[in-house]
Amino acid sequence: MNLVRAELERLGARRFVQLMVVLLVLAFGVTALTNVAISHQPSPSEMTVAQQKADSERREMDLLHERCLARQRGELPAEPFDGSYYPADCSEVDPGLRERLPVAADHLVGVFTFSKDTRPLLYFLIAFLVLFGFLVGASYIGADLNSGGVVNLLLWQPRRIAVLGAKLGTLMAAVLLLSLLATVAYLATFWMIALVDGHVGPVDAEFWSDLGAVWARGLVVVLLATVIGFAIATLGRHTSAALGAVAAYAVVWELGARLVLEILEVSRPDQLMLSSYLGAWLAGRAQFWDRNACTDPFAGFCDGTYTLTWPSGLVVLLLLAGGLTAAAFAVFRRRDLL
Amino acid sequence: MSAVIEIEGLRKTFHSLRRGRRVAVDGFDLLVEAGQVHGFLGPNGSGKTTTLRALLGLVRADDGRMRVLGEPAPDRLPRVAGRVGAIVESPQFFGNFTGHRTLRLLARAGGVPTSRIDEVLEQVGLRDRGHERVKGYSLGMKQRLAVASALLKSPELLILDEPANGLDPAGIREMRDLVRTLADSGVTVLLSSHILAEIQLICDHVTIISRGRRVAAGRVDEVLAGFDRHEVLVRVDEPDRAAELLRAAGLTVTEHPDHLVVHGVDDGATVSRTLGEQGAWVRELTPLRPDLESVFLELTGPAGHPAVPRQVDGSPESGADARDGEIDLDRRGVDA
Ligand SMILES: Nc1ncnc2c1ncn2[C@@H]1O[C@H](COP(=O)(O)OP(=O)(O)OP(=O)(O)O)[C@@H](O)[C@H]1O
Ligand SMILES: [Mg+2]
Repeated sequence: MNLVRAELERLGARRFVQLMVVLLVLAFGVTALTNVAISHQPSPSEMTVAQQKADSERREMDLLHERCLARQRGELPAEPFDGSYYPADCSEVDPGLRERLPVAADHLVGVFTFSKDTRPLLYFLIAFLVLFGFLVGASYIGADLNSGGVVNLLLWQPRRIAVLGAKLGTLMAAVLLLSLLATVAYLATFWMIALVDGHVGPVDAEFWSDLGAVWARGLVVVLLATVIGFAIATLGRHTSAALGAVAAYAVVWELGARLVLEILEVSRPDQLMLSSYLGAWLAGRAQFWDRNACTDPFAGFCDGTYTLTWPSGLVVLLLLAGGLTAAAFAVFRRRDLL
Repeated sequence: MSAVIEIEGLRKTFHSLRRGRRVAVDGFDLLVEAGQVHGFLGPNGSGKTTTLRALLGLVRADDGRMRVLGEPAPDRLPRVAGRVGAIVESPQFFGNFTGHRTLRLLARAGGVPTSRIDEVLEQVGLRDRGHERVKGYSLGMKQRLAVASALLKSPELLILDEPANGLDPAGIREMRDLVRTLADSGVTVLLSSHILAEIQLICDHVTIISRGRRVAAGRVDEVLAGFDRHEVLVRVDEPDRAAELLRAAGLTVTEHPDHLVVHGVDDGATVSRTLGEQGAWVRELTPLRPDLESVFLELTGPAGHPAVPRQVDGSPESGADARDGEIDLDRRGVDA
């Protein structure tokens, strides 16, 4: 407990952490101000017009669906006069089955709409927090290993695993807390902007649960990035080890090896890339093309895609982070500290 | 007396890809008993810091047995860490913290009451600068802060690796007084330093290490006595005549331009009596006692050619097997 309190103070006093927090606040401020600047509160007449547009769009969809059904029943000629396209399966154009129906907010121009604009903003926040977690995780232990801070601490607490564990635990807790606070502040600010200077739009339970899911997945990535940065910097005794490892991985494997695999015509190169699993976890699933799946020209219809699901994405990410952490602790336990 | 530090047969070899193997400590023994102020001497690169690091669990020893305050090190170090204050080779501190805060964090990690902080800052002379950032400290001030961090725990055993590094003359004296005060209050001190006069003043025991091996150990006066050649310096008005008289009395004399050195005399009175009886009056009679510096240089380094800079870690080639060179105090005592 004492160790954790001391670590928390050290973490908070790090210039780099302070800088990153300032950057976060700045980026946040700029985004908020831009939205305030370009947005305005829609006037009642604007709302009416937008609502009308949404309604007519809705009507057109209903009409299309009805016509499609009528054509199927043979009440309409198979070849439509107006050149519209009707799918073979009319449920494809059934408005009742669509994920979302047109709403007035879709037709508001220059209006910040909470229900529509929050999701991409949340992705931006998560991306920043991932970067924050990774860099802070790496520099926190990297700088301490280099400046002799760890050695000083070990003279007081000669239990290496406890010392490293306290550092990692404190770091994770701090990143988690910061992420929570940043998200709440972020959403609250944009909610206020929507109320005062924009439009809230339809926010129902489904909207919130969707947003919550995006956020929860993002948060897991933030924490994993923190752990990975910390573990690589511990293994390499240096902050830059983590940066170098990621850069090297991206260039050598994601770019270089991908090219080589393409040239060699390996079936599913995406299956070997971490980015695919990251995408699968964040988006729920990721679809890729298998070039060797449809080589038989007489096979008729062939679906050459394959899917990575979020569980497999999560497992891969957890294995990576867990493996690196285990290695970091194992190495740190026995290493000569100078 | 109980042993506070016991090291037997400590070995440590560093391996690096580029430079290969480097034997830093090669079967080293050290015994420090309770209440001693123990000097730990050796040339640059002889393995002092490595020994202390191994003892404190910072580097993994390849071989050897170590105990600190009776507990096997490094496995049981956590049990005694609260009673051992240590600085190893000019510790680095986080520059953005003030001295006070640095100590507070350590105190917190080690469960020491924070009231100790002001006491130790006062003790090392940093009372008025404790609330400044460490990066604004001078070398000597950082060193003082390091000593303060070691004192924070009110340790029973204090391990100081070159605490005088960077200290001004007054600082060195203050350090000496501090160590004395601590020793008087019962703290055992192991102190490495290159300032031999300093060691001679404050330490009652020494261990000398060369090339990773112990070459001398024991009470300071006994180690020095082991190197006492029983020589006296004599000044007289007629050195030639005096030399003859002394040789006639069976003594070995070396003549120097302005003085004589008489060898193998246990008692200066023999010289003054021999000369006085013949009317050659002695103007000065000084026993030539070895000091720690000459003993140290004799044990750890070749006299060397003045034109060839001595290289670090350069013990005499003949002493490659330094174990043979280790002085056995008892035997020397008998010889003398
Ligand atoms: N991390 C390391 N890697 C390789 N060799 C090392 C390492 N640390 C120490 N050594 C070598 O071990 C030997 C002993 O070094 P050590 O620091 O223990 O000497 P020392 O007696 O403390 O010297 P000084 O009086 O200069 O402080 C030296 O030859 C040194 O080069
Ligand atoms: Mg040293």
